[in-house]
Amino acid sequence: MYRYDEFDAAFVQERTAQFTDQVMRRVRGEINEDQFRPLRLMNGLYLQLHAYMFRIAIPYGTLRSKQLRKLAFLARAYDRGYGHFTTRTNIQFNWPRLSDVPKMIEHLNEVEMHSIQTSGNCIRNISTDQFAGAAADEIIDPRPMAEILRQWSSLHPEFSYLPRKFKFAMTGSANDRAAIKFHDIGMKAVTNPAGEIGWEIWVGGGLGRTPMIAKMIRGYVEHENLLAYLESILRVYNRYGRRDNKWKARIKILVHETGIDKLRDEVEAEYAQMKGGVLTLPQAELDRISAYFAEPPFELVNATQIDVVKEKAADAPYGEWLERNIHSHKHPGYVSVTISLKPIGGAPGDCTAEQMEAVAELGERYSFDEIRVTHEQNLVLPHVRIADLRTVYDRLVEAGLASGNAGLITDMITCPGLDFCSLANARSIPIAQAISHKFAAPERQREIGNLKIKISGCINACGHHHVGHIGILGVEKKGTELYQITVGGDATEAAALGDTLGHGFVADEVPAAIERLVEAYIARRETADEPFIEVYRRVGDAPFKEALYGNA
Amino acid sequence: MSTNLAFDVPESAPRRALQIVALNGLFDEMDAEGVLRHAVSEVLREDVAIVSSFGADSAVLLHLVSLIDRRLPVYFLETGKHFPETLTYVETLTRHLGLANVRWLRPDPKDVTRFDPRGELWESDPDSCCHIRKTEPLDAEIANFGGWVTGRKRYQTAERGVLPHFELTSDDRIKVNPLAYFSDADVNAYKRAHGLPEHPLFAKGYRSIGCAPCTTVVAEGEDPRAGRWRGLNKKECGIHFDFNGAIAKPVAAVEKTLFKDGKFIADPFRAWAEGDDPAAVRYTHIPLEMFVANRAAVLGNPHPNGLLIRAGDAIEEVAADLGRFASVAVEFPKFSDGRGYTTARLASERYHYAGELRAVGDVLMDQITLMRRCGITAFVVVHPATRKALETGTLVTVNRYYQPIGSAEVPVGTRPFLRKAPETV
Ligand code: SF4
Ligand code: SF4
Repeated sequence: MYRYDEFDAAFVQERTAQFTDQVMRRVRGEINEDQFRPLRLMNGLYLQLHAYMFRIAIPYGTLRSKQLRKLAFLARAYDRGYGHFTTRTNIQFNWPRLSDVPKMIEHLNEVEMHSIQTSGNCIRNISTDQFAGAAADEIIDPRPMAEILRQWSSLHPEFSYLPRKFKFAMTGSANDRAAIKFHDIGMKAVTNPAGEIGWEIWVGGGLGRTPMIAKMIRGYVEHENLLAYLESILRVYNRYGRRDNKWKARIKILVHETGIDKLRDEVEAEYAQMKGGVLTLPQAELDRISAYFAEPPFELVNATQIDVVKEKAADAPYGEWLERNIHSHKHPGYVSVTISLKPIGGAPGDCTAEQMEAVAELGERYSFDEIRVTHEQNLVLPHVRIADLRTVYDRLVEAGLASGNAGLITDMITCPGLDFCSLANARSIPIAQAISHKFAAPERQREIGNLKIKISGCINACGHHHVGHIGILGVEKKGTELYQITVGGDATEAAALGDTLGHGFVADEVPAAIERLVEAYIARRETADEPFIEVYRRVGDAPFKEALYGNA
Repeated sequence: MSTNLAFDVPESAPRRALQIVALNGLFDEMDAEGVLRHAVSEVLREDVAIVSSFGADSAVLLHLVSLIDRRLPVYFLETGKHFPETLTYVETLTRHLGLANVRWLRPDPKDVTRFDPRGELWESDPDSCCHIRKTEPLDAEIANFGGWVTGRKRYQTAERGVLPHFELTSDDRIKVNPLAYFSDADVNAYKRAHGLPEHPLFAKGYRSIGCAPCTTVVAEGEDPRAGRWRGLNKKECGIHFDFNGAIAKPVAAVEKTLFKDGKFIADPFRAWAEGDDPAAVRYTHIPLEMFVANRAAVLGNPHPNGLLIRAGDAIEEVAADLGRFASVAVEFPKFSDGRGYTTARLASERYHYAGELRAVGDVLMDQITLMRRCGITAFVVVHPATRKALETGTLVTVNRYYQPIGSAEVPVGTRPFLRKAPETV
């Protein structure tokens, strides 16, 4: 894992001093809220419904145990004993006091963490595959390049006041677990005909009120030219992205209005000037950063088969957890473990201080001191020996973190919604909780199989509802909260946006409506293994429409 | 070599510039007489004038003139604002040196009646005062010559540290500075050696003497010209065209809004105003679209000017002409509008613009480091807290940089690749 050197430490220290100064100036009234807003936003501080919300960066979703313990400390000392993991793999605290924030930042400094660029119209935390460096199916570990991009984008003087926020996602695997086609820039590692590895670049994806699937802008960029190419895109966006309308300011609108071909030409013209210049990444630097991400000292153990059927027979919850929450590892004898933050009836992504400490402990002892955060708001222990699984599981049970529901209907993405967010039209957490209760029975969840539900409290789509197999969007109509249901979205390499099938439902009706969709799916699947999304693709939306609204 | 310096052949400008530069190697540093003789007899034969302020050390140059050719035209700007001692001194020197062609230039009485009926314009608007009393009268005369001789010296102000013997001005004329390498001591020694009469005010502590209202006594050890336009961002009088005579404001009335080289100074430039003439404005930031629409007129305008690039303007349209401007203003309409950063980088990095690159608009302390890194060297600041932070040097910023910006910031191939720490900032 990446560790700060003196330079990084001093950089963050200076930034802390600067932000503390800004907070104090605000407290003294030397700057007004309008002037303070972009400054605090650039340091992850939002003004929410009830209080300030403080968001801390977890670069490419990777944490060390010490860092997670510090987050637990912050949760206890400055919040209400818990934190909330977000879809950008960051963590946010919902109840800090403004005057405490500089102290919180000091604490973060101690463990090489910060809140820089977790909001504001700048380049945000770069997200990647939660199984990076572990997954059997990746061709390259994307984290070294993600770290290089993190450094390149930190307080970039040209790109600190972009038209709008800017998000990168990267994957080193053909199986896209990072939703790269729904980011401003998505990058996928690919192999060129000469057998070298480089990056395929996608641009202009995003959700929000105008959801769009990214378009490919370049099929291959070498490592050494990647910064020059990305800087070219950012420069074109900084100059030509719309600034007249906040809702049209993301790069997806520029791509849409300019057309990908023309935009590509503009980027290429800029790239022709930049390529080979100061941004050329020396191999030595890539090697230097890669060394931080060297494989941990795995033991040489023989591949072990996990006999789920046998384990289930012996201990059903354990067997089911094994079945759902384990991901295959590139190294024999190891697996990656998903720790679900979606207990039945819980608020998705919430994690108490005690739970954080329990996971930190497990990470330290059983996963080479590494923990990951997923964009689906779960945690991951990336490198666990198969031999240790039972011990890990037992500890998770003690911590209340052993839900064996990864990828199932109760493993929902949910935004904070009206309970916290000042932009919300409707509550989203209570909806998630109601659905979770409805499908609480493990047998029922297993019968349904892979199904992703994603819930947003408003059109800003922080809950990624457009790409849920079933998406739920809170809207407000004549003073009541209504929920629009979409079907058929997909965040993976088979990217698709869900379709709205009809009018919205009041909150109480939502769980039953979901139940009807599920029934329609089960009735039409050809085998028990055919997932919801594939049935939807095969049969189209008519049966689902009928399930929701009857044969009108 | 007679010179008919025309504006309509800009292609030849680089060649002329080279020829002029070459002249600078021909003379010993202290060979003022050789320089002046060559200028008068070779470079600018029958085509040169002397402009003299008849100030404290004007006698040296005028003595040289008397040695070479007493009939050379010597202009004296009788602004109507001089110390009586100065006027007496003009007559004293003229007689003493036998100068045969001293021409007194007076402001147009119509201008004075119209713009300065009470004689107080210097106080409220020295811009205009200098304009009607110096620039206007002299411009008309100077237009008849291919060049002129000045008494400027390198040591006099920081800006003159690189003054050569021969210069080509932006309007393609030749300026000759025979005394460029003379020090204060050299001047005094020369005056003594040749028994030249002293300006009557010299004994009273005046060192650089201009119009009475705009001249103060120079303190011991202070730059001699510090007494002129004291406190203003005005080092050159308009008559040298290095500086807009029509700009300085009196000390009391002036607002020092331009932060440059570590301090706030009065801004020599003004904003473009409705109805301005692109061919005639001076020290004005001409908006890009105005320049594009009036390119020939602006390029033919002999005065120093600036260019205003607004957010959204395409700098590439004017890339080839940037060098013509003494200042380029990059507008930040709101601090949250970051287009200016790209504009600034393109100007300095891609188009190698080396003049003053200034930020105008919503310029706040939290963005200044970013602007500097993008190549901006001057800031027009009105926000009080920002002014205070800059004045007191208490700007709190991050001085470690991860990414190479600019051609100079991080040499290619140095390690670690992306970083720059303050020791080398
Ligand atoms: S989707 Fe809307 S309600 Fe939910 S967090 Fe985002 S802005 Fe708030
Ligand atoms: S130097 Fe002073 S008095 Fe003389 S013209 Fe200029 S402003 Fe007026």
